Amino acid sequence: MAIDCEDQELLDGFLAETTELLEKLDDDLISLEKSPEDAELMNRIFRSIHTVKGASSFLGFDMLVKVTHKTEDVLNRLRKGELKLNPEIMDVVLEAVDLVKTLVADIKGGDIVERDLEGTISKLIPFLSENAVEATVLAPVFTTAKEPSPPPPAEPAQAFAGAAEAPPSKEAAAADRALAKAAAPAVQPKAQPIKEPAKSPAKGGEELADNSTVRVDVKRLDDLMNQVGELVLERNRMIQLHSDYQTGLDPAGFSDDFGKLSKRLNFVTSELQMQVLKMRMLPVEKVFKKFPRIVRNLARDLGKEVDLVIIGEETELDRSVVDEIGDPLIHLIRNALDHGLETPDQRLCAGKNRTGTVVLSAAHEGNQIVISIKDDGRGIDPEKVSRKAIEKGLITEEQLASMGTREILDLLFLPGFSTKEQATDLSGRGVGMDVVRTNIRKLNGIIEIKNDVGRGSEFILKLPLTLAIIQSLLVEVEREVYSIPLASVIETMRVSKSEFHMIGGQEVLKLRDSVLPLLRLQQTFGCQEVYRERDTCYVVIVGVAEKRIGLIVTRLLGQQEVAIKSLGKFLSNLPGIGGSTIMGDGRVALIVDPMGLIGGSEAAGARK
Amino acid sequence: METALTVKNEEFGGELIQLVSFNLEKEEYGINVLMVREIIRMLNITRVPNTPRYVEGVINLRGKVIPIISLRRKFDLMEAEYDKRTRIMVMEVVGELMGFIVDEVSEVIRISEKEIQPPPPVVSSGIEQECMSGVINQADRLLVLLDLERMFSADERRLFGNVG
Repeated sequence: MAIDCEDQELLDGFLAETTELLEKLDDDLISLEKSPEDAELMNRIFRSIHTVKGASSFLGFDMLVKVTHKTEDVLNRLRKGELKLNPEIMDVVLEAVDLVKTLVADIKGGDIVERDLEGTISKLIPFLSENAVEATVLAPVFTTAKEPSPPPPAEPAQAFAGAAEAPPSKEAAAADRALAKAAAPAVQPKAQPIKEPAKSPAKGGEELADNSTVRVDVKRLDDLMNQVGELVLERNRMIQLHSDYQTGLDPAGFSDDFGKLSKRLNFVTSELQMQVLKMRMLPVEKVFKKFPRIVRNLARDLGKEVDLVIIGEETELDRSVVDEIGDPLIHLIRNALDHGLETPDQRLCAGKNRTGTVVLSAAHEGNQIVISIKDDGRGIDPEKVSRKAIEKGLITEEQLASMGTREILDLLFLPGFSTKEQATDLSGRGVGMDVVRTNIRKLNGIIEIKNDVGRGSEFILKLPLTLAIIQSLLVEVEREVYSIPLASVIETMRVSKSEFHMIGGQEVLKLRDSVLPLLRLQQTFGCQEVYRERDTCYVVIVGVAEKRIGLIVTRLLGQQEVAIKSLGKFLSNLPGIGGSTIMGDGRVALIVDPMGLIGGSEAAGARK
Repeated sequence: METALTVKNEEFGGELIQLVSFNLEKEEYGINVLMVREIIRMLNITRVPNTPRYVEGVINLRGKVIPIISLRRKFDLMEAEYDKRTRIMVMEVVGELMGFIVDEVSEVIRISEKEIQPPPPVVSSGIEQECMSGVINQADRLLVLLDLERMFSADERRLFGNVG
C-alpha cells in the first residue's frame, strides 16, 4: 500500500519529529528502568509516545495509532502507579517501541507494509486488565510456552490472544507466580526467544536513524552566511583588481594589492572551512545513545549484571566518522559483555562487585578523537589466545615463540579467530574483531589494547576528527608528488645513502638504538629514476598502530592541508594509495596510505 | 544504450541515434552521444602506480578526480605522441566518470538504427570482440560502434577494485 498523504511537508515533519522522539525514547526507557521513581522521566516518556500517537492519528497511520495507543495505556498505568515497573513490562514496552520504529521506517520507505501488530499488542494487553499486577507475573510463563524459533506471525499471536483473553483467576495467577519464581533462574537461557522478535524490528529501528538530514544551529548558519558574504566581497575585489590590471591603470601596485587580497582570501576560506567542518560535526552521543539499550538486552540474555557508564558523549566528530564507528563499537561492547565480564557468581568468587562495569568514553586529544571501551572483567588471557590461534592454524609454534604479549593480543584481530568454544547468538564466529579492524582502518584509525589479566581490558580507538580534510606532508619521489598524511608521520630525516644497511634482503636504517625497515617509494610506485647520482635522500618515518617504517623519498616539499578526493570505484583498491587531492596548480597528487604500504611490505617479505 | 535518444524517422523507417565519431590509428569509431559527458583537451595527467598499463592516470576535472584510460593501449595499438588534436572523452561507464584518450574527435553523426550491422566475426586489430556492438557501413566510411560498458571484463573490474 503506497502512502496517500497529500501534504508531503507535513509527512516529512512528522517523520523527522517522530524519529527524534523515538531515539530519545529508547534512552529514556533504559534510564527509567534504573530509576523507576523518576516521575519527570516517566512523564517525558509518556509525552513522547503520546505525541507520536497524536501525530500518527492525525495523518491516518492506523497501525501506528493502534500500537502507540496500547503502549500509552500501559505507560499511563505505570505513571499512575497502578503497575509497578519490572523487566517483563520493560521488555514488552521496548518491543512495542521497536515495532513503532519499524512502522515509521516503513512510512519513511514510502510503502506501508501490513505488519503483525497483534503479537506485540497482545503482550501489552495483560498489563492493562484490572488484575494487571498478577498479569505481570504471567509474562515469563508466556515466554516458556513460546516456540524457541522466531515464531511465524499469525500462529503465536493467536496463542497469545487466547492467553490474554482467559481472565487470569486469582488462584491460577498465584500458582503461576510460584511457578514463575521457581523457574526464574532456569528460565534465563529460555528467555532468549523473547528477544528474537524484538531483534528484527530493531534492525529497522537502526536504519530509521539515518543521517540524511541535518539540523544545524541557526547561529552556526548565520556565521556561515557572514563568511560567505565576506567571500563574495573578496571575489568582487578580485574581479576589480583584474579589470584594473587589464586596463593598465595601476600595474605598479597590482602585485602589492594581489598579495593582500590572497592573504584575506586565505583567511576567509580557512574560516569558512572551519565553519563547514563544524556543521558536519555531530556529538558522538548520536552513536552512544543506542548502547544502553543494547547493553541491557545483552546483559539480560547473558544473565550478567552490567553497569554501563558513558563519559564524554558531547564530544563532537565528523559525521562520516560517526556513521562508520557504530558497528565496531557494537562489536567491542558485545565482546566486553560476552567475553570480558564474568557472571555475578564468578565475580563474587573473584572478590569483585556482583555488577560489572563497562565504561564507554570519548574525548578529544589533539587532532584525534579517542574512544575507549573499558570493562572490569577477567581481562584477556594471552595464554588462551595463543593456544587458540595455534589450534585454528592461524599461526605456528615458531611464530608464537617470537611474539611479545602485544603481538599475541593483536592475534585477536585475525579473521576467523574466536576464543569462544561455541558460537553463540552474540559472538564467537570470529568475524567481530576483524570487522572492528577493517572499519577502523578505513577511518585511518589506530586500535590499542590495554590488558590486565583478572582485572579487565580496555580497547582504545584513536580516530581522525574528519576524513574530508587532512594535514599532509608533500614529498617528491623522482619528480612525482605524493602526499603523506601527517597524522602517521613520526619524523623525517635527511640521510646519506651510504647509511643504509641490508638485513636479509631488506634495506634498513640504524635509527638511534632501533633498526628501521626501509621502503623505496620509487620502487613501490614504479617511478622512473631521474636522480641517479644523488647520494642523499630523505626518509619519512611513518607509523601505523605499533609498526614503524621509513619511506625513502627524493625530497620534502612541505606541509599542506589537503582535501581528500576519492579515486573512484575503479581505482579504489590500489595498494599503498589511499586517495588523491588537488594541488594549488590544479594537478592531482596521490595520497599515500601508510597502512597499505606496511601491509604490502609484509606480504612482499613473506613471498621472499 | 537502451536509453538512447531516439527520434522517429519516417524516411528511414527506423530510429535515429546520434554518435560521436572519433579516430584511433586512422580507424573511425562511434560512441552513443548520450554516453559522452564532455570532450576536453589533454591535461596534466598524474600517473597512478600499480595499475594496468592502459590506465594513464588521473586528472582533476573541475574538482573531481577521474581515471584516464588510453584507448590505444587498451586496444594494443601502437603508442603515439599526444598532439593538439588529442582529446579526452569523458564518459560515464558503469556509474563512474572516466576519461578516454583518443587521437581525434571528428563529429556527431546521425544514423538510423537499421544501418547498424552486427560486428564481423573476426577482427584483425586488438579490439576485443565484446567491445564492438556493431559496424556501420556507409558509402565512404566504416564506423565501428563501441560499447564501453562491456569493455571492462569481470576480471579487470576486480583488478581495478570492486565495481558494481
